[in-house]
Amino acid sequence: MIEFKEVHKWFGELHVLKGITLKVAPAEVLVVCGPSGSGKSTLIRCINRLEPIQKGELIVDGMRVHESKTHMTKLRAEIGFVFQQFNLYPHMTALQNVTLAPIKVRRIARKQAEEEGRRVLAKVGLGDKLHQYPAQLSGGQQQRVAIARGLCMKPKIMLFDEPTSALDPEMINEVLEVMRNLAREGMTMIVVTHEMGFAREVSHRVAFMDFGELIEIAPPEEFFARPRSERTRLFLSKILTH
Amino acid sequence: MLETFNFRVILEYMPLFLRCFWATLWLSGAGLLGALVVGTLACGMRIGRFTLLSWAAGAYIESIRSTPLLVQLFFFYFGLPSLGIRMSEAATGILALTLNSGAYMAEIIRAGIQSIPHGQVEAAVSSGLNYLQRMRHIILPQAIGVTLPPLLGQAIVLVKDSALLSLISLPELTRAGQIMTSERFMPAEGFLTSALFYLLIYYSLKALTHWSQKRLIYMQT
Ligand SMILES: Nc1ncnc2c1ncn2[C@@H]1O[C@H](COP(=O)(O)OP(=O)(O)O)[C@@H](O)[C@H]1O
Ligand SMILES: [Mg+2]
Repeated sequence: MIEFKEVHKWFGELHVLKGITLKVAPAEVLVVCGPSGSGKSTLIRCINRLEPIQKGELIVDGMRVHESKTHMTKLRAEIGFVFQQFNLYPHMTALQNVTLAPIKVRRIARKQAEEEGRRVLAKVGLGDKLHQYPAQLSGGQQQRVAIARGLCMKPKIMLFDEPTSALDPEMINEVLEVMRNLAREGMTMIVVTHEMGFAREVSHRVAFMDFGELIEIAPPEEFFARPRSERTRLFLSKILTH
Repeated sequence: MLETFNFRVILEYMPLFLRCFWATLWLSGAGLLGALVVGTLACGMRIGRFTLLSWAAGAYIESIRSTPLLVQLFFFYFGLPSLGIRMSEAATGILALTLNSGAYMAEIIRAGIQSIPHGQVEAAVSSGLNYLQRMRHIILPQAIGVTLPPLLGQAIVLVKDSALLSLISLPELTRAGQIMTSERFMPAEGFLTSALFYLLIYYSLKALTHWSQKRLIYMQT
């Protein structure tokens, strides 16, 4: 579904991804963790070419993302992206937020798109907030609208960039719950997060990144019980103790 | 002193003032419309991806903002004919107001567009919306909300600047005051009447600003 082959990425002089090789299978849930600045966001932002890569190959859903001639609009419609800061459109209601792309990109009739939008918003527990503006919703509710916005495109892949990091603690669970359900339904997901409980319980594999490299990748039982690299161990001891 | 203030003469000159009031309105209105078009275009060129266009728009904006309107007006009025380009006085005046105000509006619109958090653009890109769709559905609806008050402020400046058109003998409000002064030597009555008409335009535009701000308030939250 997603394949990185020796992918390199620079921001000017800064070498941010240093030869990433990684394969994600359909219906797999991959959690990515690592210290701040290690390149986690950049890694998933390359998948829909929010950031272009400079070297290596990146193949997503059969499309060669590393080739500049590859037309991204169609592929982007197949990939939902959830940001740390939600990034909802503040001048639109929840329902308008989730129906915009289906209507404009997928060219679905408004009535049908709204029906689907209602269904998906109800599924993430916001059936009574259809006509609220983002500013009228709590952080957890906004993030659930953002997830619904991705889901309304009926994507093949969902990418999450620290979806709960901007939330107050009491709202984290309502968002994780939505993501858990999504994983159970067989969505292909890459989740950048430090929620190790979620990783343990839901993910198929956990990856650890540091300084632009994939240090370690393993199923959660193994990753947490017997981390192979010293750096992984150090990182885990830091985040699991606080 | 006040007993020398001559209201009768003002009444006598009222038809002239009304004609000139109308002239100020339509000259400014045409300049405003032109400035909005030029400003939007210049802003689009400035922030677009074509280096040459962006540079040209930048040069235009900078050269207008760094020189006095009066110099620009005289250049169009005296300079262009000497280069073989002839226009009526009204066209010259509207051109000067349009190009002058357009440069300021380009910057106002640019600030409005750039005030939209980049994350929203990334969200729109991620869901497959193309450039025009993002402009149409995400950027412009919000940018207009942010931009309307400063744009109306610029419109007020433009109306006041239109007084300079009296210097190329266009019969507008300031010119009316001059005419009355030179014919009857009553500068107090003449220019005060001009000022009152400007005040009327100012308050109408200000009321419009308040009204638009109230309607758009939810976007600021
Ligand atoms: N647009 C950018 N321009 C320049 N440097 C960037 C940009 N985005 C990220 N970086 C840098 O790239 C590195 C990796 O960033 P990021 O992928 O955001 O890390 P993480 O998500 O793991 O915290 C950091 O050093 C960051 O400062
Ligand atoms: Mg990050």
